Amino acid sequence: MADAQFDSALDLLRRLNPRDTKQNLQAITSIVPDLTEDLLSSVDQPLEIRRCPKTKRDYLLCDYNRDGDSYRSPWSNEFDPPLDDGTVPSERVRKLEVAANDAFDVYRELYYEGGVGSVYFWDLDDGFAGVILLKKGTSPGGKQSGEWDSIHVFEATDRGRAAHYKLTSTVILHLANETEALGEMDLSGNMTRQIELDLPVESDVSHVANVGRLVEDMELKMRNLLQEVYFGKAKDVVGELRSLAPLSETNRDRATQQEMIRSLQR
Amino acid sequence: MASTAELASSFIEGAPPGELSDVVADIKALTSDGDDIIPSLAPAFERYNELQLTTVKLPGASQEVIVSEFNKLEDNRYFDVESQTSFEVDHITQEASAAQSYVLESQNADLIKSLLKAVSAHASEHYPFSSYGVYPTADDSTVAILLVANRYSPNNFWNGRFRSIYEVSLADSTTITGKIHVDVHYYEDGNVALNTKKPVSITVPSASAESIISRIATAERNYQEELNKAFGQMAEGAFKSLRRQLPITRQKVEWEKVGGYRLGQDISGGKGR
Repeated sequence: MADAQFDSALDLLRRLNPRDTKQNLQAITSIVPDLTEDLLSSVDQPLEIRRCPKTKRDYLLCDYNRDGDSYRSPWSNEFDPPLDDGTVPSERVRKLEVAANDAFDVYRELYYEGGVGSVYFWDLDDGFAGVILLKKGTSPGGKQSGEWDSIHVFEATDRGRAAHYKLTSTVILHLANETEALGEMDLSGNMTRQIELDLPVESDVSHVANVGRLVEDMELKMRNLLQEVYFGKAKDVVGELRSLAPLSETNRDRATQQEMIRSLQR
Repeated sequence: MASTAELASSFIEGAPPGELSDVVADIKALTSDGDDIIPSLAPAFERYNELQLTTVKLPGASQEVIVSEFNKLEDNRYFDVESQTSFEVDHITQEASAAQSYVLESQNADLIKSLLKAVSAHASEHYPFSSYGVYPTADDSTVAILLVANRYSPNNFWNGRFRSIYEVSLADSTTITGKIHVDVHYYEDGNVALNTKKPVSITVPSASAESIISRIATAERNYQEELNKAFGQMAEGAFKSLRRQLPITRQKVEWEKVGGYRLGQDISGGKGR
């Protein structure tokens, strides 16, 4: 029953307007409180930004850097509000986390030319796991606004001189436009993709490069996919609903074309 | 705190085009009441049907007619001018029954009949799958013109709906006010929604059916052109400024240089683990 409820909750969130995911998630969990934890950890929502009190740098909040009501800053490794016994990564994994934050900071500047990024790692029995978060907004709340949230969750499992990587990536993209001639237009949504593969590991340095390349390739693929769905597919469906050209002309043209093909085949 | 019925009602009213039955199935599975919750959601079904211009098949006919606030009678009955029929709607199953003959009584009856002819010609020229209706409204001082076009392709994970709702005021001069809505849902490995709302306001020189529908046709064409342009502008504007396809150098990131350097020094010899 619980599994069926969970699946129905996910199906419902996949159907209802993606712009309202936060409210709908609240509504579902107030109907079925038992689903709250599972849904919060499997439904991606736009990321929130907080400023690290120690370094004065912005970082992103998610379920993976949360402990109770506190969030861990990737820059200071400290919880805000402070926690004495907050869960932090092992020394080795924290070193990797620091290196990955440095690397993805460069990545963010090159691809996003702004925005906020955060990387969080944690220990696993046979390896480690992490999440790479990237967020950028343009004039939020304005008449022409856009918001991009990337959430890449991975697991790296040790396999001798290689590691098995499993990456699940979600991009949440919201675009809105309002003008006199256009009225209101809102294009919102999210898409998710997964990939699994083995890559050679010489040292811990390899992990940062491997994860970096995986995320870079995945984001390129997803950006192309989003472009196709948001501006290609959505526009095509509008064209399926309403034809700009009069249908009698289109049908006549089609008939003429078929007649030509037939006469060529004779 | 909102009740389960209130929350479930918001899901019904938020159902995307062509997916109401999927949303209902999810609600039944989610709430412990199962089927028993459905009767308490009847007002939400009614709002959904009237706002989304749900179409129903008249008993014994193949033609689909619109359900809206503009052709509403009493006791869940609605009327259709073209087929001169009134019918009862089960809002939950979206089925029509108990059809009766219905004679339009309106001082604008002739105009309404001419408008129906003109809308029919307009609809068949631009909407491959559409339903429309023209009804007297507001104590017979205005006329409502409705058109809805649906395309459902659940096997390809997309559904779409185009709605236009106009009220023509015939008082001193003829003015048309209304709204066009386009809703598209794409949900293969994700959930992407296009929702648009375009207010329309036109003054028409004469109250003839031809000139009213010709103005409406022009407004709808202009709107579709505007919308097509906006897709291009979003792709070239907001989308590009959020994330580049490649860095300005046209080179991918050299991860060994940006990531590993400091870590390599930290772990002398680089044989960590």
